[in-house]
Amino acid sequence: MSQALVDLVRERFPDAKGSSHRGDEVVTVRREQVVDVVALLRNQAEMKLLRQIAAVDLLTFAGESTGGGALASIEVPAYALEKKPRVEPRFQVAYNLYSIVRKQSLRVRVELRSDDLKVPTITPLYRTADWWERYVFDMFGIEFVGHPNLQRLLLYPEFVGYPLRKDYPVRKRQPLVPELDFPDLVRGPGPGPGGAGVPMSQTHVGRQNVDPDAYD
Amino acid sequence: MTVNLGPSHPAMHGTVRLIVTLDGETIVEAVPEIGFLHRGFSKSSEHSTWHQVLPYTDRLNYVSPILNNVGYIMGVEKLLGIKDTERSQYLRVLAGEISRITDHLTCIGAIGLELGAFTVFLYAMEARELLWDRISELTGARVTTSWTRVGGVASDLPPGWEQKLRDCLPRVMELTGEVDTLLTRNRIFIDRTRGIGVLSAEEAVDWGFTGPCLRATGVNYDVRKAHPYLVYDRMDFEVPLGASGDTYDRYILRLEEIRQSHRIVLQCLEQMPPGPILIDDWRYALPPKKEVFGSIEGVMAHFKLITEGIQVPPGEVYVYTEGANGELGFHLVSNGKGKPYAIQVRGPGLPILSALPRLIKGHAIADLIPIFDSINMIGGEVEQ
Repeated sequence: MSQALVDLVRERFPDAKGSSHRGDEVVTVRREQVVDVVALLRNQAEMKLLRQIAAVDLLTFAGESTGGGALASIEVPAYALEKKPRVEPRFQVAYNLYSIVRKQSLRVRVELRSDDLKVPTITPLYRTADWWERYVFDMFGIEFVGHPNLQRLLLYPEFVGYPLRKDYPVRKRQPLVPELDFPDLVRGPGPGPGGAGVPMSQTHVGRQNVDPDAYD
Repeated sequence: MTVNLGPSHPAMHGTVRLIVTLDGETIVEAVPEIGFLHRGFSKSSEHSTWHQVLPYTDRLNYVSPILNNVGYIMGVEKLLGIKDTERSQYLRVLAGEISRITDHLTCIGAIGLELGAFTVFLYAMEARELLWDRISELTGARVTTSWTRVGGVASDLPPGWEQKLRDCLPRVMELTGEVDTLLTRNRIFIDRTRGIGVLSAEEAVDWGFTGPCLRATGVNYDVRKAHPYLVYDRMDFEVPLGASGDTYDRYILRLEEIRQSHRIVLQCLEQMPPGPILIDDWRYALPPKKEVFGSIEGVMAHFKLITEGIQVPPGEVYVYTEGANGELGFHLVSNGKGKPYAIQVRGPGLPILSALPRLIKGHAIADLIPIFDSINMIGGEVEQ
């Protein structure tokens, strides 16, 4: 059924590769084509629903399972990058598309090399792509070129690294976030951004000025 | 003026933060900030065996956890290319539809509560607790059910459970009827919800809406009907559709879905055949305790399954089921090593929440609460 969709894509893009697993049809296209392929499917195959954008890091796919065996410690880094051969293309981005009218689904897959993690955005085609692209950027560090607001979605801006990459240890600790100056409504305008008063660390609340004997 | 709502606000249902720009009382712009409940679902799952992921799925949507259990396990079964037993399929549908009712009751109760109709909330909660009592008798827990297994379910119906369910269902429907009479033709409720938070059908699809929020706009897409899984093709039920896509339609649709789920539950009880609840294939399902203690094959199968986990052949699937809020999808990748290589979840609430600024723009700040209630955002699945 969905084979017709793969054929539709391959008619226009002859180098697209079709594959299938357990009934899921996949078409793998080059990065430059992804916007055109998705637009083709959206406009000519009624695929108006973008279910999800997912990504996969293939770094340890062929090798050992992440974090060792079932009983191994999960605190050690899962994968020593410098000792292993590079896996290229390392990342895959998967667009799960669906047509409500025709009840067909298709996954469009893009493969990315780790030295050039850029994909053109499809936010002009699907508004829901906005948050999914931010999610993939947040978790994998894949940049969606042309996205109107490419910021982290679930994690905070000061987060270091991309947690769903396979070389990110599962128990990695994050550095503490430095205190921000904030506009102090009580103490009035001051030197900080937006007319902040004295920074938090300089007030009685901050730790720096607390006399350690005061609480004895 | 800029108003900061949440993340700890009684009407924010968990932990979402909204930065709302106001002109008088009118909302000019709203920016949702999510992630306060982020637990690293995907990363934790990648370091667990396929069965160890199951408790994490409970916490995705904590008002209908069994629907998440079923959705996830069906993904693993799809990767394996196996099917569960017939009785287990009925049990999954039965418990799943009870969970759907509890989910919708929670949503409707919360709408009532936050619009000042506290009575509605109490009726809805009483009905929900009746059903959660049944769920806890069946699975051992109200919310953290972890009830499905690859190839079946964990436990069969306890003795006398069916009669208990048959006894409490009329009361649940009576309470639902009370909610109906209190809200549906209530002038205040209609004024607060009619024409509020309207979205057209095309826009809803564009925003990735599924479930009641999509069907409220008139788009007929229900995974249970479009791609019947388990035994939904043997069930006689209807998919209610809305017309205007406003808050009132989303409310009335959930109410009607409770009635349809009630029908499915009764049909399940009628049709359910006797038989095993777990497949008899020790590569995937734990052997019965008698075999574990009584035979060397049983011990070995048990040991292998517990220490190494199920060996899932390499592959990549996207599996989708109808959760209470919409299409619940799991993007699963296996590399054949006993653990999920990659899991990413499509919580139905995430695309819906992303459209919240569009829904509330131009309305008064007082309308924000009913709109936010009616999309029934669940922090667990949105923030993973």
